[in-house]
Amino acid sequence: MENYFDYTKKIFDPAKTKEKPEVFKGLRVLDFTHVVYGPTAAKILGQYGAEVIKFELPWVGDLWRFGVYWGNFWRHSSVCFHFVQYGKYFFALNLKLPKAKEIILKMAEKADVVIENFAAGTTDTWGIGYSQLSKANPGIIYLSCATYGQYGPMRFFPGWDLLAQAASGAIALTGYPGTDKYYKLPDYVGDFFPGNIGALAVIMALNYRNKTGKGQYIDLAQGEALMRILPNFTYESITNEDLGRVGNTDPTMAPSGIFKSCDGKFVAVAAATDEQYKGICEAMGRPDLVNKYKDTFERLKAGNAQELIDATSKWVGSSNVDNLVELAKKHHFAIAQVEDDYEITHDEWRQERGSVIVFTDEMYGKLMIPGPSQMLSKTPGRIKWLARPLGYHNRYILKTILGYSDEEIKQLEKERVIGNWDDRPGIKPPVYYDIDKDPMFNYK
Amino acid sequence: MSDKEKEQILVRYGGSGKEREIFLKGMMNPDGKAEVLDDAVILDVSYANLSGDICSSIYAEFGAEVIKIEPPEGDPSRKITPYGVNRNGVGVPFIMEARNKRYMTLDLREEAGREEFKKLAKKAHVIIETYEPGKMDFWGIGYRQLSEINPGLVYIAISPYGQYGKKAQEFIGIPDSDITAQAASGLPANIGDMPGEGEPWNWPLRAGVWLGWYISGVEAALGGAIARYYTRATGEGQMVDVATADSYVSLVGYPVTIGFTWDKARPRIGKHDFAIYPYGFWKSKDGIVAIAAGRDHDFRALLKVLNLWKHEDDFRFTFDRIPDILTQIEAFYKIIEEQTTKYTSGELVKKALDYSIKSARSKWRGGGVPIIMEVQKPATARQNPHWNKRRSFQEFDDEMLGKFTMPVNFIKMSESPPRVKWVKCGIGQDNTYVREKYLE
Repeated sequence: MENYFDYTKKIFDPAKTKEKPEVFKGLRVLDFTHVVYGPTAAKILGQYGAEVIKFELPWVGDLWRFGVYWGNFWRHSSVCFHFVQYGKYFFALNLKLPKAKEIILKMAEKADVVIENFAAGTTDTWGIGYSQLSKANPGIIYLSCATYGQYGPMRFFPGWDLLAQAASGAIALTGYPGTDKYYKLPDYVGDFFPGNIGALAVIMALNYRNKTGKGQYIDLAQGEALMRILPNFTYESITNEDLGRVGNTDPTMAPSGIFKSCDGKFVAVAAATDEQYKGICEAMGRPDLVNKYKDTFERLKAGNAQELIDATSKWVGSSNVDNLVELAKKHHFAIAQVEDDYEITHDEWRQERGSVIVFTDEMYGKLMIPGPSQMLSKTPGRIKWLARPLGYHNRYILKTILGYSDEEIKQLEKERVIGNWDDRPGIKPPVYYDIDKDPMFNYK
Repeated sequence: MSDKEKEQILVRYGGSGKEREIFLKGMMNPDGKAEVLDDAVILDVSYANLSGDICSSIYAEFGAEVIKIEPPEGDPSRKITPYGVNRNGVGVPFIMEARNKRYMTLDLREEAGREEFKKLAKKAHVIIETYEPGKMDFWGIGYRQLSEINPGLVYIAISPYGQYGKKAQEFIGIPDSDITAQAASGLPANIGDMPGEGEPWNWPLRAGVWLGWYISGVEAALGGAIARYYTRATGEGQMVDVATADSYVSLVGYPVTIGFTWDKARPRIGKHDFAIYPYGFWKSKDGIVAIAAGRDHDFRALLKVLNLWKHEDDFRFTFDRIPDILTQIEAFYKIIEEQTTKYTSGELVKKALDYSIKSARSKWRGGGVPIIMEVQKPATARQNPHWNKRRSFQEFDDEMLGKFTMPVNFIKMSESPPRVKWVKCGIGQDNTYVREKYLE
């Protein structure tokens, strides 16, 4: 039989991604979202083949177009915007005008999914809420993303990733106990993770629509998505104690923690099972500990775990990372070096895997961006283009979806119903790019 | 159409105002609504890795028949629990993820167990496994073999470095854990205090939430759902591969794009943020508040709320406030802190809200929304009437597991929402049920 890894390499080969089918081909998503949380849900559907049309206000644009790290724009755009928005169609439409509403209602008739993340109830007031669009198209699936959801006394409270972390309690769990130092979860994961849950909910709703023909409304609260992943509530209801912050170790495994090796690198080590525990004790030359804590629950008790953590810390501190990894391979316990951005960028295996992609874009050139978090052998997710300047696809959308003529489009431009950028970086094309010769922007 | 029918339609589709509220209220309770996956059979053979249990839990909440298959002595995941806290030998995370599942014992190490597993696999729609790459294949029950007897099968495999490529092969003997998944995916490298703070404060710090395993579990569920969608359309199954050392990287994306464009790693900058300021925590008189006022008009509003208008000129634009000069932003942090510590958390929240309401009502819409919120601990979040009104928590009482609370109903859907019907996880408790239903 063929070697397993030759077989998997063959079925997952990232070089063949382009030739493979797309699951959501033919699905149309109207994306009224901004910043990170909502856009992420729409992006994932787009990654797997849906046609995602992102609506923005002309000359204003998504706030996250200016969300740049330490003020650094990249080719007049934000890299942080690129990987939240790739593969979408950028349509700049002034929602405030009645003509724009007509366009949206016409598009809703031809759409499958609508996603928005304004304050609770805002889209209803604008006349493009579920109550209105579902009349135009009863099969529509409408996902509303808000920090506190659409219902409940706090529904009108504004929110960002930080506030969702604060509302769910997730914010108070990182750091050392007994200190006044708190740390938020980094990288706006409080937006990205609930965004992924949103995509999951839409896919479930699509399944339901395929079975019954019915659309539905989805009310996703960022706070609830984050609370779903905290065992703290259950822990507290069982013990009547606050689990709180636990420092640099994982209290569910002993020993476990992040330690410093003798070559000055940081390494995470853990023993999840009795077997792994035995392995790690042997690796650090402390077979006496194996018998001392035979019972898993006994071993995990705070004082006992501390003894094991101290022993591990001493052992890691006297060895180098390569040596430790070799020992882990031999004795089968969990180990990983703490990797920073630079190391992740230079990991060959991630690029080989296709989860990190060096993408060459027609407008922006080369950028390293994240691929999908899950690899599918027959219908893999993919990236087709990076984000585009504000209103870049206006003509394309109006012509292909609604069949507007050049005159009608000109009229809309004149009435400022549609529009594009001004001279600010973030919304305009890069200086070197000749937009007048761009066939998509000037779609015939 | 009668008035009653009209009203029903309004209630179903939302309407506005009162109707919308009735519609939304109805969505808070999932009971009696359809279960979208009620025709799916899912086998979960995850072992010593809760990301598999998390993945199958999500399917079970959407109504699938999930059969968790363990060796006769039980899955070691049962004992992965904070400080050894357990109820009758079952740890807290395992209880959390024992939602609506069937528990069966089969010894896959034995030929007989594998034969029985094959028979089940023939009838299954999804399989979830977390063994080391190639182990199931070696046993003759991997994707390669099972897809022969069940072409529509979706096979989800979760492992530290995935199922293909050099690293996966090289690290095959190294098992998975949440903390190592975190470490490899760049998470601890971005948590911790600034370099000058001294050890261990400036060390990379573990996130206090199982982000490695939970994100991997959810990404696996997402991948499986996408694959199932394809199966429904074409009848073809496929393999889904999730690497726990990688799923966080691909989810948030920052480590990659920043690492590439800066050609260096971000430093750890403690409580600050890279793109937005103020965006973090400050001490109040009686606790900690989170403050977010990133846009310029939000920031101006915050200055007014905190009586700090005299600093407006120095920090007027977003780019004046970004913490690329760390000493400058540390100094400003202290200026804000001097004000926040004068008030209680409740007073600060109220000040910000009052201002926001005023600026939302004013004709001049540039007033800004300064956001100040009390930092909740899980224990206080649990008491929040808002979540209780949304039925975000549920109490359970089980013979074996006793009484406990769990976060539930994490997505509200008008037609086919997820829900938790029971929490029960005795080893092999459903052996007879599964055999009678699927093997006879």
